[in-house]
Amino acid sequence: MTRNEASRNIRRLLGVAHGLGLLLAMLIICLPGAWVVLNSLRPTVEIMAKPAIWIPQELSLDAFIAMFGVLGHGAIPVGDYFRNSLIISGTSTVLAIAIGMSGGYAFARYRFRGKSALFLGFMLTRTVPGVALSLPLFIIYARLGVIDTHFALILVYVALNVPFTMWLIDGFFRQVPREMAEAAQVDGCTRWQAFWQVEFPLAGPGIASSAIFAFLTSWNEFALASQLTRSVNSKTLPVGLLDYTSEFTIDWRGMCALAVVMVAPALALTFVIQRHLVSGLTSGAVKG
Amino acid sequence: MVYTLSGSMKSFRVSAPLLLLTPAVIVLVAMVAAPLIFSLYSSFTAFRLTRPESLWVVIGLRNYQNALTDPVFLTAFLRTVVLLTVALNLEMLFGLGLAMLVEKALRGQRLLRTLMMFPMMFSPILVGFQFKFLFNDNVGLINNALQSLGVTEATIPWLIDGNLAFFSIVVAEVWSSTPVFAILILAGLLAMPKEPLEAAKVDGCTPWQSFRYVTWPFVMPFAYIAMTIRSLDVARAYDIVKIMTDGGPARRTELLWTLIARTAYEDARMGAANAMAYASILLSIFFTVYFYRKLAAARAQIAAEW
Amino acid sequence: MATVTLEKLVKRYGAVEAVRKIDLAIGDREFVALVGPSGCGKSTTLRMIAGLEEISEGTIRIGGEIVNDLPPRARNISMVFQSYALYPHMSVRENMGFSLKIAKRPPGEIKQRVDEAAAILHLEPLLDRRPSQLSGGQRQRVAMGRAIVRHPDVFLFDEPLSNLDAKLRGEMRTEIKKLHAKVQATVIYVTHDQVEAMTLADRIVIMRDGNIEQVGAPDDVFRRPATRFVAGFIGSPPMNLVEAEIADDRVVFANGDRLPIPEAYQNSAAKGRKVVFGLRPDDVYPSGHGLPSGHAAAVHEQPLKVSLTEPLGNETLVFFDFAGRDWVSRMLNPRPLVAGAAVAVSFDLANAHLFDEASGVTLARARG
Repeated sequence: MTRNEASRNIRRLLGVAHGLGLLLAMLIICLPGAWVVLNSLRPTVEIMAKPAIWIPQELSLDAFIAMFGVLGHGAIPVGDYFRNSLIISGTSTVLAIAIGMSGGYAFARYRFRGKSALFLGFMLTRTVPGVALSLPLFIIYARLGVIDTHFALILVYVALNVPFTMWLIDGFFRQVPREMAEAAQVDGCTRWQAFWQVEFPLAGPGIASSAIFAFLTSWNEFALASQLTRSVNSKTLPVGLLDYTSEFTIDWRGMCALAVVMVAPALALTFVIQRHLVSGLTSGAVKG
Repeated sequence: MVYTLSGSMKSFRVSAPLLLLTPAVIVLVAMVAAPLIFSLYSSFTAFRLTRPESLWVVIGLRNYQNALTDPVFLTAFLRTVVLLTVALNLEMLFGLGLAMLVEKALRGQRLLRTLMMFPMMFSPILVGFQFKFLFNDNVGLINNALQSLGVTEATIPWLIDGNLAFFSIVVAEVWSSTPVFAILILAGLLAMPKEPLEAAKVDGCTPWQSFRYVTWPFVMPFAYIAMTIRSLDVARAYDIVKIMTDGGPARRTELLWTLIARTAYEDARMGAANAMAYASILLSIFFTVYFYRKLAAARAQIAAEW
Repeated sequence: MATVTLEKLVKRYGAVEAVRKIDLAIGDREFVALVGPSGCGKSTTLRMIAGLEEISEGTIRIGGEIVNDLPPRARNISMVFQSYALYPHMSVRENMGFSLKIAKRPPGEIKQRVDEAAAILHLEPLLDRRPSQLSGGQRQRVAMGRAIVRHPDVFLFDEPLSNLDAKLRGEMRTEIKKLHAKVQATVIYVTHDQVEAMTLADRIVIMRDGNIEQVGAPDDVFRRPATRFVAGFIGSPPMNLVEAEIADDRVVFANGDRLPIPEAYQNSAAKGRKVVFGLRPDDVYPSGHGLPSGHAAAVHEQPLKVSLTEPLGNETLVFFDFAGRDWVSRMLNPRPLVAGAAVAVSFDLANAHLFDEASGVTLARARG
């Protein structure tokens, strides 16, 4: 075999290995979720069968129907959880973006003393584990009587999201050249107008991505929600999922259905976010 | 014109950033800083939820002393550190591998990158649930697959046995966060100038040598960005453990955070819990600062040379 | 033996063919230049020889061995990239010694060879600096130094001077020529600058749209261009090229102006043939101010009007209006000329060219 032929064989082999590796990786990534989705469609009998049934014999949307059943009076109050999650995540996102835009702009455009210290301080608040923060908050909220309200969780989530949102938006504003706003001012705008007419639209897609990220953080949060909520008045989807995953009689099919309902919005938003998230993170981080 | 601009900006400058940052400062002080101070105070008391007046009984460092001599606390702490260290390293390794696989893919990059991000979008509770389902000894996919393939007859107690449960939790945690590393390192790989790599090929480097001498020095800061970002969120492992094993059975997978939650809400020993909570905060901060330093150093290096 | 042979080489990007079935044989220690306009396929060809680009069809042999699927490191080549491609995180010394380090040579040998190359390229004071601390010209020399420490069979240069300013380019050209004399290896040099190709190469390969138009020594391609494209590409200022038709035993231009048929083409210029007439600025000049080829009978004189002059000091470029367009002529020993003045112009038809208008190929020349 000539050197050339040997080389060609090695390259072919590597190509195959590469493809297999990618396939394996994608399988590992998709399989758990896909399995959950599949099992939300199979009757409980099949799920519990021994030896295991691999090819689904029967598929139906029964679990979902039962869930949303009689206007949320089914076994799991999914409707309530969904509503709570939506209101809480949505509101906290809007507030976090407003505050984050304000702060992010300050970091992107101005120089002032203590800037890096302040930035560090903001970032450090994020290191506080949810569990740790839930302790004092629980006590304080209990005293104030706001446990189990939307209001309580919204406030916390805003605080939770502001640092990261600010960091991302800081990065996105930096990508908008300073001269644009200055040109607008030369053209007659006030600083305020220049911001809304020029800088905001240009950073818009990035800000939208930060919003999605903040929304998802709130949507998926558990540690604080589990302690600060008590009933269907304010329990969110993650708390609901845990509540119904009890040790003994597990309705796996129902749980899977609940999981699907929980993850669907998040996955939909994933498509939108991917490009901007990475660029925002890296440009802000690498250039500093 | 220019004078007017800079003049008006100057008088503006002192107050503008201050004004813009005030809402953020207020929110964070009110919702994080103040509660933390309260938490610190209560860690010096014998506060029990069942007896509210005990909030004012100051006992100094006794909670901390108790914790540091309590074998349950120490094992939980140690277990947490081991989990984090193992998980972060595996995530880095797999993330790097995944990023390199995807980077070399000639077609369908956009699809691959979207797929790659999936695990990040799942709530940790959801991740925990998935793997709880998968690792369940009766109906779980893993055991069923092993049995159907004839590898083993026994039902392996993935979530019952201490070591296996730890392993299952690590799997869930790594599955959930490897994409963070993969995505950031991929960004680095795509941003890297390609010519030095070609020069390395011509200079005689095998693929491994090209990676070691050219690719890795460039990609390192991105890896550290990922590490730092990840450290901010290490406590999300709590959610996963809570749903998969809740620290059990019989505390065999007790981590720092499940211990805190248990002490505070089930045992109602708030003072003690707050002391432990501070330990967990310090742990988080340690990880973050450590990696941030490495990031800053690597960032300086990359800016200076590349 | 460091011969390089290309056989029916093709490079395809999807449906587009960047390199179309080219054949080329490069001899041991030859300096060959690949020239052509942007997009002609010269860089692609070089990269295929280097192993940095996949080959769609055909074969490449180095030293007689087929190398199509061999990685660059197995081909015993060195390359100087257009953007230098230095390793930013290594010092100049480390950059230059890198390939030897990979080859596991002993440190003493590495040091000696790096010092040797550094001496040839005057890089000694820069050895401990990083690339970011060097100027463009210095980086270029480091890139060359990195290439020569290895003593490979073949050197590949990919437009190495195009990022330098004009003066530096001239200096580096001389350096490269001296280097080739010293190093005695096969060199394949890609450039879009025909002056570089003419001054450096033993043979020039002119490419266009993925095809080879002509291969030959500089003198060859200058004096005997095979196609209209080559004629117009080589030489500065470019050759005057004007469409015409053969009629009445003359070369007749569109506006009625005419010239005698150059003797070399008497047999091949058939009546009615549509041609392109070519004459270099050196071969048309105000009478008495040029360098005649020596065939006095071939010179045709004609009074023409000056439309523009560009004085260059030792010579002046004089533009005449003839055959319906501007012709460039080189006036040696110049005296001032006014636009609009009438001057007697000599056309040295011994060096004139006729190309077929449709195909661009030169008409057959009679020997002698």
